Amino acid sequence: MDSIVNKFKRSTSTWGDHNMLVNFDVTKEFSLPSFDIPPCHNPIEFLKHNTDEKSNAECRIKFKHGTTTLAFKFQGGIIVSVDSRATAGSVIVTQNIRKIIEINPYLLGTMAGGAADCTFWERELGRRCRLYELRNKERISVSAASKLLGNIVYSFKGMGLSMGTMVVGWDKTGPNIYYVDADGTRLKGDLFSVGSGSPFAYGVLDSAYDFDMSAHDAAELGRRAVYHAAHRDAASGGNIHVYHVKQSGWENLGFRDFDDLHWEYQDQPKPSIIGDVQPMMLNIQD
Amino acid sequence: MVTRLEQPRGGFNFDNFQRNVSLEQKGIRIPKPIKTGTTIAAIIYKDGVCLGADTRATSGPIVADKNCAKIHYLAPNIYCCGAGTAADTEFTTALISSQLELHRLTTGRQTRLSTARSMLCQMLFKYQGHVSAALIIGGYDVNGPNLYSVMPHGSVDNVPFMTMGSGSLAAMAVFERSWRKDLERQEAIDLVKDAIDAGIFNDLGSGSNVDINVIEKDKVDIYRNYYKPNERAPKEKVYKFKRGTTPILKESIKDILVITEGVEAMDIS
Amino acid sequence: MDYNGGTVLAMAGKNCVVVGSDKRLGVQNLTVSTEFQKVFPVTEKCYIALPGLATDVQTLSELFRLKCNMYKLREEREIEPLTLANMISSTLYGRRFGPYFCEPIIAGLDKNNKPHIYGMDLIGCLNYPDDFTVAGCAEAALFGMCESLWEPDLEPDELFETASQALLSAADRNSLVGWGAVIHTM
Repeated sequence: MDSIVNKFKRSTSTWGDHNMLVNFDVTKEFSLPSFDIPPCHNPIEFLKHNTDEKSNAECRIKFKHGTTTLAFKFQGGIIVSVDSRATAGSVIVTQNIRKIIEINPYLLGTMAGGAADCTFWERELGRRCRLYELRNKERISVSAASKLLGNIVYSFKGMGLSMGTMVVGWDKTGPNIYYVDADGTRLKGDLFSVGSGSPFAYGVLDSAYDFDMSAHDAAELGRRAVYHAAHRDAASGGNIHVYHVKQSGWENLGFRDFDDLHWEYQDQPKPSIIGDVQPMMLNIQD
Repeated sequence: MVTRLEQPRGGFNFDNFQRNVSLEQKGIRIPKPIKTGTTIAAIIYKDGVCLGADTRATSGPIVADKNCAKIHYLAPNIYCCGAGTAADTEFTTALISSQLELHRLTTGRQTRLSTARSMLCQMLFKYQGHVSAALIIGGYDVNGPNLYSVMPHGSVDNVPFMTMGSGSLAAMAVFERSWRKDLERQEAIDLVKDAIDAGIFNDLGSGSNVDINVIEKDKVDIYRNYYKPNERAPKEKVYKFKRGTTPILKESIKDILVITEGVEAMDIS
Repeated sequence: MDYNGGTVLAMAGKNCVVVGSDKRLGVQNLTVSTEFQKVFPVTEKCYIALPGLATDVQTLSELFRLKCNMYKLREEREIEPLTLANMISSTLYGRRFGPYFCEPIIAGLDKNNKPHIYGMDLIGCLNYPDDFTVAGCAEAALFGMCESLWEPDLEPDELFETASQALLSAADRNSLVGWGAVIHTM
């Protein structure tokens, strides 16, 4: 009995003496997690061969891919809108995945590419943002947060990470959107769309986007853009989630089922995107 | 658009070949032809030959047909078990059997096994193994009961017992254990059944039921599904849907008009 | 088969058959059309379903239409399902070494109104099921659905529900298949 008590006594004292004070290492807090590496000659080539659908169509492990995500600034803040389908090859794995990751009450991350990569690293980003907050007694800027993520993925460049993400939030400078992808690209901008359905979403966004629109109209534009992308892109679908980022933090505006929207939009008059424009007179030869 | 009916020319049509090669290079996944994935076996016994086959056809990991027939007709006194690409075994035997029919009409004699064997192996040799049909020909002619095995490249073997296909090892093990010269009819059937059974249960490419053909002098007995070791139990519940479960967007009904003429048409079917 | 997407099925019931397909045409993940025809009438009581590469689907549908019309002119009668199946099978086998990327399904009633369904692979290996046959992009999923939902001697409207539910459920789990379905009941 005494031996057990002693064991605990000692361990508490050592823990207090050394780990907290002597062994505390600031750099450790920001070191990268370590991963097990496949025990083979060339782990990078091995992973590429088995997981990369582009370089090897017959690859055995198919990651979850395929997405439409978008975010844009307007007078009332930022609208973020995403679909919720996850596919592995042509198989729909789930129609209910959450592609907007709530990093903290002021920061959102979106998810495109490998689902596992995005969730893991954005969770890690959340941890680091919290540490920053505790250390500096103020919230991290969107710029700094996105740079943290950018630096992490850059250190793994070429090793097969797959993610295309937007870090979205409101800081001292106002609303901000940063695009960060697995290649290490980090871009600041007013309007982004990422994923396999992004070309379609851009089309809708660009044709109807107006900075001065109301929050209601902006949310509807975001929803419509993802709806049209999911209509054409087989890898997007499910539910359409919309978030609104304001000065007071983000607000979840809920989600709508894609099929319900399809029937709903069918009965509505088409939004007049080019209604006020004078028809162009074309000289068509017979 | 097709503008005229092609005149049948001899041999295969290779028009799509170049296109398919380039599609494949572009990374388009090509559907795989159905394989028999087979156990086929045959033996000579005292009064004739006994042929046997399983009834599973596979395309990759999928069972494409749970009860297909792999014992093909060649002539009234000759039958043939086929393994390999299902379409190849089907069409090669059909082609040779029609040539044999014509041969019988010209000569007025019963077809000999060696004729069938030569025609098959010459055809397979001509295609250099690209027509992937592995066959066991069994029959009874003027020389008595005989068994030939033909490999896809065209080589032939005259044997007293033979197994082929992916389950051939399992089936051959049974033959090597129990085959004797001059078996009785029922003993022969049981042995072939056991050999196919071994293939069905030990080879993943083979499955379902056992087909047996017994060829004796002037007599052929075809036992389709002679033995069914894999019968599916009837469902305990009914999974019918209520009428109206599926939402219908558009429906159109066509009535079939039957025109009967005064004069009865000659039955030419 | 995955390039353009699309899938088909046929089921036999009590004195009736159904054949159906989804309506999507895509180029990989891009949906190009939501009204693409994959099931073609041959006679009043016989249909062929052609899943696969869209260019071959259209080429073959025209070729078979021509061949069936020629048959009708020569024989002065409608083609029977079994004859049609053999005709299609031989056509495909003729291109053994340069095949069309299409796995046809034939469904129909013969002159005695007996149900027939036939399936085949891309080089014409016929199979003669008495329950159901499926082909195309969601083949594996459809096999599973049909094995559990199909039962013998279904009446026409029951068979319609069974076939449509099987097709829709399989389509829900495959991104290259969908946008509604067409079912023909005979």
